Amino acid sequence: MTTASAHGPSASPDRELLRRYHVHGDVSAREALVERHLPLVRSLARRYAGRGESLEDIEQVGAIGLIKAIDRYELAREVALTTYATPNVVGEIKRHFRDRGWTIRIPRALQELNVKMSGAVERLTVRLGRSPTIAELAQELDATPEQVLEAVEAGSAYSPVSLSASPGTEDDLDLMEVIGEVDKEFARADERASLEPALGELPERERRILRMRFEEGLTQTQIADRVGLSQMHVSRLIRRSLEDMRDTLSR
Amino acid sequence: MSAPTTPDTELVELETPIGREWEPVVRLVLGGVADRLGLGFEELDDLQLAVERLLAEAGAQPSVKLALELSPDRVRAHVGPLREATIAAALQGPSVPGQLGLRRVLETVVDSFGLDDSAEGELVVRLEKRVPRR
Repeated sequence: MTTASAHGPSASPDRELLRRYHVHGDVSAREALVERHLPLVRSLARRYAGRGESLEDIEQVGAIGLIKAIDRYELAREVALTTYATPNVVGEIKRHFRDRGWTIRIPRALQELNVKMSGAVERLTVRLGRSPTIAELAQELDATPEQVLEAVEAGSAYSPVSLSASPGTEDDLDLMEVIGEVDKEFARADERASLEPALGELPERERRILRMRFEEGLTQTQIADRVGLSQMHVSRLIRRSLEDMRDTLSR
Repeated sequence: MSAPTTPDTELVELETPIGREWEPVVRLVLGGVADRLGLGFEELDDLQLAVERLLAEAGAQPSVKLALELSPDRVRAHVGPLREATIAAALQGPSVPGQLGLRRVLETVVDSFGLDDSAEGELVVRLEKRVPRR
């Protein structure tokens, strides 16, 4: 009887999936590889937690590194995918912190409060069935309202990475009634025309978020649920995208 | 700039230079107001975004006044005087299909908006955000 070595790359499920992806272009094999190695990404991401960014965001950045490793893997190499992927995932996370990290010096206590806030907003939104007030957030975080506001502001000194390259599926989008009402001076436009031409060269994730917010009128919380990010992260992406669009137009 | 008040309203005023480095000052003031009114975290974010985008369109003028008229059920922000003619153009007339301009942003993030005053090439924009019933 012939048995494959437990350590031999040629016999591993990874190897077979890599072959299906690289030789036959089987995208489902690539997805399976990502799924198999997400625990590795989570494990590596945890090492970088507590540095002013949510673990969820670090994991998504790490997942991008994993995908790049899978795409770049050469079948001729006799090396396990985990061995090859680990430096790619770590490199992606480090690059993220270096390039997109806190842009100004923020006291650590405020960074930590900012990180806790994202989870607190989500918990309270679920518990209350609406967006929490500053006072409710302060109580949840055992902080003062002023500390909460400062921590939110500290978050604006942080530039989130574009997550457009992360894996995800396009959900069917339900149209919702747009919030707001007609002001006597300005009648609201009847049509909510496609924003597509205005979105320029924004990454797909940001384009999708802007369409949901300004074309379909979804709230940030609703968008956050759909794209799997926190409401605060959605807020930052919307702000940055609008600034990018304006900067592009003014050039 | 006029910001009429009634006995059950409070007025908070701020004059600030215009520029990205001053946006945090405006956001903190709006945050303090939102806390006192019990405005939700997301509604605060909407109001901040509305003021930020308006100031971003204000062009090269040195400073602007922000008057916040507070009543139990809403906050009304009066922003001006603004000298940028493009703001008036951006606010008046229908949203341009396919464009994500100032008007489209304001239509989405505030409950209503309009012009308070537009004399001698200067204008004051009014933004209103209601406090949801809890």
